[in-house]
Amino acid sequence: MRLVIAEDNVLLREGLQLLLTTVGHEVVAVAGSGPEVVPTLLEHRPDAAILDVRLPPGFRDEGLRAAIQARQLLPGLPILVLSQYVEETYAAELLRDGAAGIGYLLKDRVARVSEFQEALERVAAGGTALDPEVVSQLLTRRDPLDSLTPREREVLALMAQGLDNTTIATTLVITERSVSKHITNIFQKLGLPPDEAGDRRVRAVLAFLEAGA
Amino acid sequence: MKIRAAFVRALRATWYLVAGLRTVLPALLGVCLLPLALLLAFGVPGLPWVAGRIRVLTNIERRRAAQVLGHPIREPSMPRPLNAYQQYFSLMRSSAVWRDIAWMVFHAFFGLIVAIVSVEMWLAIPWDLALPFWWWTLPPGTLGAIAQIYTWPQAIVYPVATAAGITVVQLWLQPRLARFQAWYAERLLGPTRRTELAARVESLTETRAQALEAHGAELRRIERDLHDGTQAQLVGAALRLGLADQTFDADPEGARKLVLDARSGIEDALSELRTVIRGIHPPILSDRGLAGAVRALAAGRPMPVTVEIPDPDRRCPAAVEAAAYFVVAEALTNVAKHSGARHAIVTLGHSGPYLTIRIRDDGRGGADPTRGSGLAGIRRRVAALDGVTRIDSRSDGSGTTVEVELPCGV
Repeated sequence: MRLVIAEDNVLLREGLQLLLTTVGHEVVAVAGSGPEVVPTLLEHRPDAAILDVRLPPGFRDEGLRAAIQARQLLPGLPILVLSQYVEETYAAELLRDGAAGIGYLLKDRVARVSEFQEALERVAAGGTALDPEVVSQLLTRRDPLDSLTPREREVLALMAQGLDNTTIATTLVITERSVSKHITNIFQKLGLPPDEAGDRRVRAVLAFLEAGA
Repeated sequence: MKIRAAFVRALRATWYLVAGLRTVLPALLGVCLLPLALLLAFGVPGLPWVAGRIRVLTNIERRRAAQVLGHPIREPSMPRPLNAYQQYFSLMRSSAVWRDIAWMVFHAFFGLIVAIVSVEMWLAIPWDLALPFWWWTLPPGTLGAIAQIYTWPQAIVYPVATAAGITVVQLWLQPRLARFQAWYAERLLGPTRRTELAARVESLTETRAQALEAHGAELRRIERDLHDGTQAQLVGAALRLGLADQTFDADPEGARKLVLDARSGIEDALSELRTVIRGIHPPILSDRGLAGAVRALAAGRPMPVTVEIPDPDRRCPAAVEAAAYFVVAEALTNVAKHSGARHAIVTLGHSGPYLTIRIRDDGRGGADPTRGSGLAGIRRRVAALDGVTRIDSRSDGSGTTVEVELPCGV
């Protein structure tokens, strides 16, 4: 995969580059500050971008803003946002224009190389990868979620991270059939009819993201 | 109408002056006993008692003056020394005590005279107006108004003129007398600029000492968290990596397990580090400012939270915003955990140099700051910045209100 990364910390940038090239990707360009991100992406048109939230010059949420801007200028560009800390508000902002090809992970997750690689590939393929910590923040939420059983909440949490039914079944040690049964229940309880357009899995995640955002 | 209003004003003033007898008479008694009181006062145990009695009396006048001034006179603080010996000298030196005594002496005489004369002047009006009806029962020249009355014309003109004159004088004078009485009470009984500054210095010294103490406790807590948590985790991870290096050739599987353990240890350390950082200065605060951070806090709650921030762009020093964020986070956690509330309102505003934070819920109330660490943590954190915490949580269903004022620098 051809990748663009935005990371200002030299240690982390080199580590990330090392990791990505080791697993067989190509880092075509590196942006060191917020304003550089979008022009770099427009110039190189990578398969996916990995952005840090905090970037110079302000060291605030430049990376996040760049990601949102890039999504509008380059629709469908998969973006994986990495951060030292996660905020559900940021997740909600990232997912506002749809959850396809969006990832939002803690930087720590990079240490689990194969899982990180899977998440990156899922995002590049148009899927979603949300950090378990964002998801657990979201699951302390209210209303429609109150009606879910603990098992359904577990399934929804894994779904929100972007996992497919087979992986969810393996993780929870249940059959794939009961996973799809749980998912049907979740859709029903969250009021997502099957005939509407759009991916219901994504909409289920969005439903509770937007519940309080 | 205007005349009626003038009468009402004048009569009210007279009533104020007459009611002043309530403080005049004890003051008079105080003046009579003053030599004795001072004698008593020079005996060490007597002075606080004497000063205390006088203070009770002057406090009545301080409250009473509100009728004229529109606000009660503020009480200058009494010295609060450590022991009886110190108390004696600080009371002797306290200007507030001597001003109380000066007021007492002046008020005893002036208050008494003014009350009697005021009433007497009003009574003089009907007395004069009645004169034409009975002056002739006594020998001419016995009675008078302005001057002795000898003839009928004099008996009509003199009393009526006098009554009219007194009325005019009373209407003008009575409100002024009442104001004068309240004015000298305020001058003598109110805090002087010096005592006010002294009291302010004293309270600042006290709160600063508390603030330093609280700040020190915060630093020690952070140090302990880093030392016992993060640092220990990293040492453990380094140790495992070292062991993995040693056993790498002999037992590659074991070494691999050690490496993986080290990784989990580092992940835990990172997670703890995030918690500590959130406790010091939440990152979202740097990213989004206090308004944005509080909105994000409110969004992630199990119940709906309304956020009111009229002036979201006004910033405070980082330490103050961090404390404010902590207060809102902690208060909302309490609301979710204990109150059973269905709704909460967070208000952030500025009043003068203060950042004010109010978190109100519609829950069952009855929160006790002495129990549980949440409210105590709020108090501690606020005190560290010389702020004020007020908690109103009656169990009558009116919910809980936590109010915090933090000095926002200049």
